[in-house]
Amino acid sequence: MTASPLVEIIGMHKAFGGVQAVSDVNLALDAGEVVAVLGHNGAGKSTLMKMLAGAYPIDRGEIRIVGDVVHIANPADSQALGIETIHQTLALADNLDAVANLFLGRELMTRWNTMDDYAMEAAARKVFAQLNPNFRNIREPVRSLSGGQRQVVAISRALYFNARILIMDEPCAALGPEETRMVHDLVRRLKARGVGVFLISHDMPDVFALSDRLAVMKNGRVIGTYRTADLTEDEVLGMIIGGKPVTRVAQQHRTLSSRLPSLQETPP
Amino acid sequence: MESLQLSALDLRLGLMAVVLAVMAATFHVLTGNFLTPENLYNIAQQTAVVGIVATAISLVIVARHIDLSVGSVVGFVGVLIAYLQYTAGWHWATACLAGLAAAILAGMYQGGLTAYLGVPSFVVTLGGLMSFRGAAFLVANGKTQPVTDPVFLWFGGGLDGALGIAGSWTLAAVLAALLCWRIVQARRAKAKHGFPLRPLAADIAFTLGLLALLAAFTAAMCAYQLPGKSAGQGIPAPVVIWGTVVLAVAFIVRRTRFGRYVYAIGGNPEAARLVGIPVRRVTLQLFLLLSVTITIAAIVSVSRLNAGTNSMGTGMELYVIAAAVIGGVSLSGGSGTVLGSVLGALIIQFLDSGLLLLDVGIGQRMIIIGQVLIVAVAFDVLYRRWTGERLA
Repeated sequence: MTASPLVEIIGMHKAFGGVQAVSDVNLALDAGEVVAVLGHNGAGKSTLMKMLAGAYPIDRGEIRIVGDVVHIANPADSQALGIETIHQTLALADNLDAVANLFLGRELMTRWNTMDDYAMEAAARKVFAQLNPNFRNIREPVRSLSGGQRQVVAISRALYFNARILIMDEPCAALGPEETRMVHDLVRRLKARGVGVFLISHDMPDVFALSDRLAVMKNGRVIGTYRTADLTEDEVLGMIIGGKPVTRVAQQHRTLSSRLPSLQETPP
Repeated sequence: MESLQLSALDLRLGLMAVVLAVMAATFHVLTGNFLTPENLYNIAQQTAVVGIVATAISLVIVARHIDLSVGSVVGFVGVLIAYLQYTAGWHWATACLAGLAAAILAGMYQGGLTAYLGVPSFVVTLGGLMSFRGAAFLVANGKTQPVTDPVFLWFGGGLDGALGIAGSWTLAAVLAALLCWRIVQARRAKAKHGFPLRPLAADIAFTLGLLALLAAFTAAMCAYQLPGKSAGQGIPAPVVIWGTVVLAVAFIVRRTRFGRYVYAIGGNPEAARLVGIPVRRVTLQLFLLLSVTITIAAIVSVSRLNAGTNSMGTGMELYVIAAAVIGGVSLSGGSGTVLGSVLGALIIQFLDSGLLLLDVGIGQRMIIIGQVLIVAVAFDVLYRRWTGERLA
């Protein structure tokens, strides 16, 4: 009997109108593991992650955190479970400054139940400095920040609030080489701390540099889940485009030993 | 500018204050009696009702909503309060509470439709503009409801509705002390956390400027003496009420989560939702806050007129929205200040009153004020482009 995985997604379904965006998806994530979720645009990977983040209601299916069934009805529920999400859009209010955005929805309060701006600014400076020591204009509206600085603000939420589970949706899509390296370092650091990471990416170098396992989705279903090291880039691309699972190597539903041996996803 | 820590927002408010000063000076030169205690007293009083509602509607617009029904709801609530006192014989306080309850119900209805059903607030409140005016008629069947309670009449200014000389200077002294304490407090807190401080001279100059303004205003109000009275009036009650509302709403904006969420929703509603802000609840609460200010405005209005009439507040929505917009609230949401709404309301009233003193007819005045609104928004667009807030 192995320990329960950090996150277990079981039989997840989601439809928008008549369109089945996610159907019967099973996926597990262990502590200290990075699982890449791949697929075309519209394959259902963002929808799946948004359900975990509480942004979309779950039609059917179950989420377990360390074995316990949890109910995620909104983003606050998800945050309360230690799930932090770096959305593709970054979810920043452009008119507010970096400090306000870092704490948005979870402001630090004084004992009079008013916002403690000084405490928030002091804490924010520390977190931002870890990620980018040159980030000084933290009191300007984030609309005037560079792409990399905006990313720092979004990432620092995960860092400050001690994520146990991190969802990153295309974290390097708009970044330069230096900032991409910053994100890679961060993922490795969090991984070493035992954080489990779901990584959505189109970028094969990112996927192969960071992920332990990968799951390929097409038309709302998981085509296959593999150890990243077992596959070549061409095989992964082939799965994304063709939608046929690779049979050369065995699928890996968990890193250690599979608790779900019977769940062999097959394409319809 | 870097060391003074001035933001685009501070600059803009400063600019508006300059516009206000230039308008006052120009009108004074042209008419010779604009900057007199009597005129300033009347302007301050007349602006209060619009100003009270403008504080809250600024936040509604910041959150990307609008309320076109405020004038009608002021009429409805006002007539109700007057009716309950005159026809039903209620005590003024219970009548006011009943008015507040009615306004809250109206806010829950309109805010609920907007927040939970997603009906555009423009449509909901356009309907409300008609319906509540009708309700205002139905409350007393169109009959005027006079009010006579002397305590109630204090709220509207009028003969005895002011603080008097001693009271005014006491209030001014308290405010001055509060202001100095706030600034010292802010400097200390910044120093404690190791944040950069504004040069001491700048803070002192800024504080002295505000204190001088406060003293000048108090002196002007105290210099105004009504015929047949032995002493000056002092700060009129509607202005005290307006000031209290401004401070309360400014506190909400700067110090409470609710205030921050309103701005976050205005800046990016989707992001607000994704970070876990209860967007619907905040939106409903915003409409309820507006209801509270509407009730206060209705009380001041009825008291000023000594009566509630079914036409009270007609067209007021336009002045309230114009005050907010001239005060720098962006109709695309996410930006605007409470202090801006105060300056915006004053600019409209200065213009109206100055043109009246110049014997400009009502038709011409309306044309001019309408065009000034457009100039203000055009300026707003250019200013935001210049400060990089908007790209095109």
